[in-house]
Amino acid sequence: MKTKIFLILIVVCSSIYSQRIDFNLPQNIKLFADFLFCEKDYLRAIEEYGKYLEVIDNDTVKFKIALSYSLMNDQLNALQEFSSANNSSTFYEQSSIEILKSLYLLKYDSTFYVFGNDLINSKSQFSTNAQKLLNTSIFLTEKGLPDKNIFFKPFESEEKLFLEKFYDQKLNPPYKSETAAGIFSAIIPGSGKIYTEDYGDGITAFILSGLLTYLAYTNFEHNHPTRAWIFTALGAGFYAGNVYGSIASAQIFNAKVNFDFENGIRLFLEDKDYFSPTYDFCK
Amino acid sequence: MQRKKYLLTVILLMTVTVNSQTDWVRWEKSDVSYQIKDNYLDREYDLSIKSASDIIVKPVINAYWFFISDVDGANCPFQPSCSSFLVQSIRETNPFQGVVMFFDRFTRDTNVFGRDEHYPKYGKRHFYDPITLYTLDTNKIKFIPANTFINE
Repeated sequence: MKTKIFLILIVVCSSIYSQRIDFNLPQNIKLFADFLFCEKDYLRAIEEYGKYLEVIDNDTVKFKIALSYSLMNDQLNALQEFSSANNSSTFYEQSSIEILKSLYLLKYDSTFYVFGNDLINSKSQFSTNAQKLLNTSIFLTEKGLPDKNIFFKPFESEEKLFLEKFYDQKLNPPYKSETAAGIFSAIIPGSGKIYTEDYGDGITAFILSGLLTYLAYTNFEHNHPTRAWIFTALGAGFYAGNVYGSIASAQIFNAKVNFDFENGIRLFLEDKDYFSPTYDFCK
Repeated sequence: MQRKKYLLTVILLMTVTVNSQTDWVRWEKSDVSYQIKDNYLDREYDLSIKSASDIIVKPVINAYWFFISDVDGANCPFQPSCSSFLVQSIRETNPFQGVVMFFDRFTRDTNVFGRDEHYPKYGKRHFYDPITLYTLDTNKIKFIPANTFINE
């Protein structure tokens, strides 16, 4: 009898003190989603936030879904989600600057500039950020740069210092002239390549052209016309190749200048996270 | 009764023979090669005429590949190799420009200094130097920084 009572007591106590967490409660779903978001598990966070939104409407959660897409670099979905924020939303202004970032990354150029200018004129707290992004993006287009004072107005001194060299480079790119390279090499073989900073190739072109010309000359001098003509043909080939190669080398040099310039701007924008604000969701 | 039994046996045997599996190839031991394929050595030995210059260039290049290059080994440090570069450049441009491009390439091939800082890498030991950089058409130039690994 005592044993039965004892067992019943244990069973009753176990039921009373058993865990009673309902993981499907909206606040618990949100807690889990927040955890996933801070762990950068954005895809699962979006799923959990979606479950939460089925029950409770929440601006922060909607914004975090859009932000998750943006952080995964799924800019198309991010743009769609950020665009769904209306005027009354707490995160309306943040959504606007994030829309601008998505438009830039999606390369929707015309929409990007129209939306960016609207954002600047709206006098929102992120107008300066929009101005910075718009100005920096000009570097990567064929558009002419505005006056230096106007251009650098929204930037802080550190950013200005960094971007100034790009501004000067955009106005006066350190290109090498293809014509000059060709002429240099036509006068002194290899000098065109040295001009385009291909020093090794320049010296090699000079030695090859010089050596073959010398061999042709001495063979003509010593009455060996067959060998002389072979060396003449080879020398002429290397000479023509050297002039042609110098022009090509100048083109490649200029392509490298463009590549380095664009890469520098892209890295700067990535470093600045496209001037989008920082959020303290994961304190 | 006895005849019927024989007939049945014969029919059965014939059916088994006719419908038996003949395709044993799939069950046979296959000669799988685990050797890494070297695309560098893929040669276009065909003599198909893609342009007028191929009439002269292709037999000469094929003969060079067959009698010299393949025997000597893949020694050109570039991808495409100098001979492939000649064929491609003539096809891409014209015989005169192609030959001039080849002489320029040969000059670069002769220069052994500063290759690592100048060319992207192709495979384990080749430098990537495509003809598109040298056709003098700026739209075709796609700059690839040195030390980038190309996997075509």
